[in-house]
Amino acid sequence: MNALQPDLCACGSGLRPVRCCQLDPRTLGPAAASRHLLPLVDQAIASHGRGAVAEAERLCLEVLELAPGQGGALAILYQIRKAQGAGPAAEALVRRLVGLDPNNVWATQELALLLFGKGDLAEAEVHARNAVRIAPADPQSHNLMGMILTEANRPQVGEFHYRRALELLGQRQPILLANLAWNLKNQGKMAQARALYEESLAAAPTVLQTLLGWARMEETDRDFARADALLDQAEAVAPGHPSILLHRAIVRGRTKDYDRALAILERIERQSPGGGLGTNELLEKGRLLDKMGRHDEAFAAFAAGKRKNVELSGTAYMAEHAADLAARLKAYFTAGRLRIVPRAKPVEAGPRPIFILGFPRSGTTMVEQTLSAHPKVCAGDELTFVHEIANLMPRMLNSPLAYPEALADLWMGDQCEGLDNLRDYYLQRVRQLGIVEPGATRFTDKMPLNETHMGLIALMFPDAPLIHVLRHPLDIVLSVYSNHLTHGFYCANALETIARHYLLVMDLVDHYRREMALKYLAVRYEDIVDDQEAHVRRMLAFADLPFDKRCLKFHENKRYARTASYAQVTEKLYDGSRYRYRHYLKHLAPVIPMLEPAIARLGYSVDG
Amino acid sequence: MASAGQANPGLSRTVDEWQAEADAHEQAGRLEEAEQILAQILAAMPDYAPALHQAALLSHRRKRPAEALARLERAIRAAPDQPIFHRNICELYRGQSQLDAAVAHGRRAVELAPDDAGANYNLGVIHYDRMEIDAAIAYARRALALDPAMAPAHFELAEALLLDGQFAEGWREYEWRFSLPNSARLLPHADKPQWDGAPMPGGTLLLIGDQGFGDTIQFCRYIPQVARLCPNLIMACSSEMQPIVLQQGGITGYFDRWEHVPAFDAYCPLSGLPRLFGTDLGSIPAPVPYVRAEPAKVARWRARLAELVPGGFRAVGLAWAGRPTHGNDFNRSMSLQALAPLGRLERTALVSLQIGPAMAQVAEYYGPAPLINLGAEIADFTDTMAILEVLDHVVAVDTSIVHLAGAMGRPVCVLLPFAPDWRWLRDRGDSPWYPSLELFRQPASAAWAEPVARVAERLSGLIQGGRAAD
Repeated sequence: MNALQPDLCACGSGLRPVRCCQLDPRTLGPAAASRHLLPLVDQAIASHGRGAVAEAERLCLEVLELAPGQGGALAILYQIRKAQGAGPAAEALVRRLVGLDPNNVWATQELALLLFGKGDLAEAEVHARNAVRIAPADPQSHNLMGMILTEANRPQVGEFHYRRALELLGQRQPILLANLAWNLKNQGKMAQARALYEESLAAAPTVLQTLLGWARMEETDRDFARADALLDQAEAVAPGHPSILLHRAIVRGRTKDYDRALAILERIERQSPGGGLGTNELLEKGRLLDKMGRHDEAFAAFAAGKRKNVELSGTAYMAEHAADLAARLKAYFTAGRLRIVPRAKPVEAGPRPIFILGFPRSGTTMVEQTLSAHPKVCAGDELTFVHEIANLMPRMLNSPLAYPEALADLWMGDQCEGLDNLRDYYLQRVRQLGIVEPGATRFTDKMPLNETHMGLIALMFPDAPLIHVLRHPLDIVLSVYSNHLTHGFYCANALETIARHYLLVMDLVDHYRREMALKYLAVRYEDIVDDQEAHVRRMLAFADLPFDKRCLKFHENKRYARTASYAQVTEKLYDGSRYRYRHYLKHLAPVIPMLEPAIARLGYSVDG
Repeated sequence: MASAGQANPGLSRTVDEWQAEADAHEQAGRLEEAEQILAQILAAMPDYAPALHQAALLSHRRKRPAEALARLERAIRAAPDQPIFHRNICELYRGQSQLDAAVAHGRRAVELAPDDAGANYNLGVIHYDRMEIDAAIAYARRALALDPAMAPAHFELAEALLLDGQFAEGWREYEWRFSLPNSARLLPHADKPQWDGAPMPGGTLLLIGDQGFGDTIQFCRYIPQVARLCPNLIMACSSEMQPIVLQQGGITGYFDRWEHVPAFDAYCPLSGLPRLFGTDLGSIPAPVPYVRAEPAKVARWRARLAELVPGGFRAVGLAWAGRPTHGNDFNRSMSLQALAPLGRLERTALVSLQIGPAMAQVAEYYGPAPLINLGAEIADFTDTMAILEVLDHVVAVDTSIVHLAGAMGRPVCVLLPFAPDWRWLRDRGDSPWYPSLELFRQPASAAWAEPVARVAERLSGLIQGGRAAD
């Protein structure tokens, strides 16, 4: 069935298009109409059960040609295509199952899992939530929510669902324990995570993913010897597995043993059947080469990694979307209009936010680690709630318009306190996360590119400090290019689109600053490296916090920041992170003319 | 100039005709067309002085000062003794704050044409800009001797005398301001007499807010005195000034449109009151505060500033540019960038009160102290007054904010150009008009660095003093 016949559906299901992706659901008869086919379906199930896949497939195709909505045949054919690695066919079939019967728990869970595997977390979450709605007592529904929300950087919500899954299961299932351990590691709860890994491994000693996850956790916690020992154990389970090698390379890189790290990556490359490394391996290789001073090779590896990513994911910068949003924000947020827009009232009780704004890779993680080393401040990390509020706004303000135009409904008698409601929604979501520890009066939100929504933030939190972290634009572009990021309308795959999105966002920041009275402070990453204490004092004073010398030792902050920056922020400040672009001037040449005005305006220059 | 017969041998027009056509284009506002013709003439005859002169004036109109100067310098090299060239280049150099070159050419123009009132007047203006006030007065008087009705020279003389503290003669000469070529007409109908300062117990007196906001704020202090002489006192002034002017007791009607002004028996421009009341350097009335903010607005802005200014920070207001259409704006205004030293003040929030096009500069500020663009939320002077009441200090160039804060008795560091407006007098760091102001003057034209540094030092001293007292 490998070669597609021209009259069959492009998804690869083996069905004709009119029976597959071009099926008109209105033409389907009631399920009872195909009852005479049930014996064939039973046969297909039996054949599939005993491993007679070709027979099962033939029967399914036969049934579906006559009754394309026959659930049992769709389910068997889906399983066959999934096992064959025929992704598009499997997705089309399981989507049809869910579409035909939204209460099909198994199919809904399968679809959520498939989308999770593809990295489409947003849609995966939609179906996982449906799974919880229709099967609230099914542990797998909760396991899926746990997996998806952990990866979507809402680990606190994920933890809730993992624990619920364990409770419903009534037993300490080792994979579930390992999943929960990974979740807790992402919340920086290393001791708890370690205990769960130990428990999981004791029950199931040869699960590769468990060993790899634990090794990664120890690496994050800077116990490199233990990470190595776990990778040795993994090696015994799956000798030469590329994931083990990649983890090994990362550990070598973090112990600054760049030569060996690179040698491991090259080994993966040689062993890879398709030839060549994946996106993450290529970018890791580039970063190693960069640290070794082999800049041309490093850049080549970054470029190859980005090419690979485009090939696999097909993502491209959503330039029109970004430009449209920026234009609408600029049209809405003008001084003249804002004079008659009500503001939310200041937060009266409970912890208040400090917004750390900045383009990805500009030093926001370091600033968050610095501030959250203060006993009064908790780290909120990348909170998604500003985005959430932007999306929910039409509903919450009962407006027929989208954000930002929906803010026009604040002029209605029944919505004039709408911003207070949006603010309370945000605060309630923060409370739910449970990130605020006793004694803390502030929490940080360092969602990159939140500066895009600085206007909305200032309306909801008129007294919240907005700390905007600046860094040399060429360093930002280079660093975004050398890391895998999806922020910023998928701008990260090419230098030019990174630069374009950077300029778009900075132009918006300028606009907000011209049109609004903001509690805004710009801090240069380079200045913090240069004179840490002065600038830490400056930020704390701006956020109305007394100086605390623990903030100067932020690298000892045990909190684990989940983003790509964590390896840097657990190291002390060092000078090599500044002006790295100087080694890449010729590679960056295509974007320098675009960025030059911004570079000059921020007080930077381009030096060789 | 025999060879100057034709700009282009292929065409049969004379250079004069071409120049005339260029002039016609320029008069009609078709500057590009004029430039094309003049550029062609100059390509054919690069040293032809009349064309160079005409081209220089065109460059000036096209806002290309360097090109204008270069063309006029070439014209002068070609024809060194043309007084009009020197007179004009002197004005161009003045516009570029190149006062040494300006004064040299101004002198040369007077040497070449000693009986040209205009040349003498120009030289007087440059001497004012150079703060050579005695010379400014002398040349203005010479211009007036040659042309006694030359209003700009009277006005120039007034400014120099007032700046020098010679108020009596200064106020008399200042009356010529309404005869200046570009001055707006004071009244739509001038069939009523100007008030002479005598009591008018029965008749109605119309006061007219005739100058800018700053002047209105400065001179409305005289209103209670006027009301004692003329109980039927009405005022015509812009609506923006109403909440300030009406705080001065005694006005029975306020009108911001001529067609609403009722019948009156005499009128008086507000800026004529110091003359009528014989104000001298020693007798300036300063009943400060004579302007107050509304308590409700103060409460609102106090709450707003409490949101925006970090706890324990001083709030220092800033205004660095005036209305760009003001004739002297290039001289009195500065860029926010020039205030950078204030950004280094400890535990200080800078609160921009700037409005208008200069407000956009806020986005280019990345200094250490937070800068709050409060101008974006200011709707009118009642807001500004309330904010001034709440701020700890203000730093501003010569704009209406300075007058408002001064009238309210609020502390302001005023940054003044080397040759300031007459009301700031000379050689003093205080203002008898407004006791709460401190004046910081440029040591030379366009030299803001020194006074800004002194203001920063002053504020840093205040902050440290303030902290010690806490």
